Amino acid sequence: MEEEPYLEIYLDRCMNQDELASTSSHLFSPIVPYDSYLHTSSNQETIASPLEPSKEPSTDLSSVDLSFLPDELNQENTEQTLTEGKPGVEGNHEIQGAPSRVQSLNEKDSGGICTDDFSLSNSGLNPLSDGNSTLPSPENSSSGFFPLTSMTPLMPVTPVSEGSGIVPQLQNIVSTVNLACKLDLKKIALQAKNAEYNPKRFAAVIMRIREPRTTALIFSSGKMVCTGAKSEELSRLAARKFARVVQKLGFPARFLDFKIQNMVGSCDMRFPIRLESLALTHQQFSSYEPELFPGLIYRMVKPRIVLLIFVSGKVVLTGAKERSEIYEAFENIYPILKGFKKA
Amino acid sequence: MSGGGRSRCPDCGCAELVEDSHYAQSQLVCAECGCVVSEGLLTTTFADEGNLREVTYSRSTGENERVSRSQQRGLRRVRDLCRVLQLPSTFEETAVSYYQRAYQHPGLHAARLQKKEVLVGCCVLVTCRQHNWPLTMGTICTLLYANLELFSGTYLQIVKVLGLDVPALSLADLVKTYCSSFKLFQPSPSVSVSFVEDKEKMVSRTLQLVELASESWLVTGRHPVPVITAAAYLAWRSLQPGSRLTCSLSRFCKLAGVDLPHPAYLRVQELLAILLRMAGQLAWLRILNLDKQTVVKHIGDLLQHRCILLRQAFRDGAEEEEGEEQPQEEGEEAGSSTLEVLEKKRPASSPPPLLPPCMLRPPKRPCPTPADPSITGDEDISDSEIEQYLRTPREIKDFQRAQASRQAVPGAPAPS
Repeated sequence: MEEEPYLEIYLDRCMNQDELASTSSHLFSPIVPYDSYLHTSSNQETIASPLEPSKEPSTDLSSVDLSFLPDELNQENTEQTLTEGKPGVEGNHEIQGAPSRVQSLNEKDSGGICTDDFSLSNSGLNPLSDGNSTLPSPENSSSGFFPLTSMTPLMPVTPVSEGSGIVPQLQNIVSTVNLACKLDLKKIALQAKNAEYNPKRFAAVIMRIREPRTTALIFSSGKMVCTGAKSEELSRLAARKFARVVQKLGFPARFLDFKIQNMVGSCDMRFPIRLESLALTHQQFSSYEPELFPGLIYRMVKPRIVLLIFVSGKVVLTGAKERSEIYEAFENIYPILKGFKKA
Repeated sequence: MSGGGRSRCPDCGCAELVEDSHYAQSQLVCAECGCVVSEGLLTTTFADEGNLREVTYSRSTGENERVSRSQQRGLRRVRDLCRVLQLPSTFEETAVSYYQRAYQHPGLHAARLQKKEVLVGCCVLVTCRQHNWPLTMGTICTLLYANLELFSGTYLQIVKVLGLDVPALSLADLVKTYCSSFKLFQPSPSVSVSFVEDKEKMVSRTLQLVELASESWLVTGRHPVPVITAAAYLAWRSLQPGSRLTCSLSRFCKLAGVDLPHPAYLRVQELLAILLRMAGQLAWLRILNLDKQTVVKHIGDLLQHRCILLRQAFRDGAEEEEGEEQPQEEGEEAGSSTLEVLEKKRPASSPPPLLPPCMLRPPKRPCPTPADPSITGDEDISDSEIEQYLRTPREIKDFQRAQASRQAVPGAPAPS
């Protein structure tokens, strides 16, 4: 758990505070129902133990000046003051509610569609920022609502934005690599089981491996094109495996200039889109010819990505050299398409 | 245009005489000394016009010498195509200018003749689209004997290369043109009197049906012509259901003298499904328990109130469209009972969503799981994994023997 050291630092600061009692009464704010924090109470037991020795009984903590913290943690403690009077004290667990929620946010951030969870946490956290406007302490007024995620270490490049909550999934990566040696394609086709070579049709060996499921075109000049991988790392791994096969066949193959040439992603908006209206309003970027192709071809200028938009709401993004370009293009098109949601 | 019987230059005696035009008057000039051998020996435009014979502008000026023969041929084809399609004369000029501009581009300049032929059609199509003249790609491809793939590739290329702004095909105009081409408006040996229909009524009803189809997501993303065929078929049947109810779609197309596009069958079914759901909202139709044949009789009534019925019959996307008044609520419940009878899918008392048909069908495959994020791409590759892809020496020998024996057989396929 990455949150532990941060929590300890925070608690250490609390210990050093002298002026504690004055602010406690102002922190009471009954905006958010107590129940919304209960779902995190199940995680409390594991986190409770490291806090016990360093923590005084809940009453002391509640009177701590928490203005330097982000707003949810503040509210966590205000809820604690609320619960003091109530039987069945679960106020102890409130302080642990925040880190566990951070943890769950982290886990959910790392992949997949998380619209529901994100909106839940958003709706859970937003009233807190409203509630905090009543706090008199000066430091609080400057901090608006800033996400808990800034306090804790995150996975790099979280693709989920505040806007859409949908993450395009990569479907295909095309990459090239230079093996830097002349190859005898006939020999490769003879000695490798997974290769096919038909010089009359195409001047390259088509080789396939099972894990990761990819195909490579190997040319006699030593250049190779690798397609079919679902992520950049898998594409690199697959290209290395192909190079190793060629090496084992007796050629002095190297692995130079590995470069990703194209990335294809797809996602689902889950609502139907009026393609005719979109073609009309974004005429300079769209090409919609129902006689030729059922989808609308949208050529975005920045980033330079081509999107295929279909009436069912499914979107295919292609032409990217970086993963971030696909995410950026999707975030650009999402508000445009949302505008066409209502028929 | 070199005439027969060349003479020698009287000055230097050389036989190299070049025909050169000087201010549209043809002259025979010696290539060596430049002496003008003869003027107006061959027919000139002046002489022609003097003899009351018309000479075209393009032949009287030197403009065709600057243009290559292939391009001249293409420009002629553009003009011919415009005339065949009976387009206004202004279209011809525009189409010719597009062809000339397109011809400058290296990609199209060096293309094969087949592609240049298709380019002719593309220029005409762009011109028609910009003037809102409803011309379909299918028509042009039929006229040019071109295949649609090549046409589509060239069309998209030319739009991108010339940076053209091509408006969409206007569906209303296409309906009018398409319906006007039907041969149902006069009695003839093949068309009996009961099948003859008034053109205005048919066109207006087809238009209404096409509007209904586009409101209910049946037109977006689909080829427009089959939708219009289906709408025309239903409109024609509904105008005189007594005698026409039994006429099938293929028979209708034969009568009308148009080709039957294959997707039209599906469009008819989809339109009828929409109409049936709308019929469930009308009190006096609910009790009749309509099916796909009998609903045709009531298409006129349904189309009159199509906006309201469509809104009532379906909920808009995700939200539930609840009817405020009592009769409407009853209508929905009773409508849903008809729905249950017909579809047996919807839960009772919730109107189905108005979605394109592709969203209503269940997905064929489950969505694939995303890739494992822990792979770095630099993992070790075990030897055994690579060796599974290599043939053993014994296998190689067997394979070679098999290949050799296959090649020995005459007419064997090429080894892979």
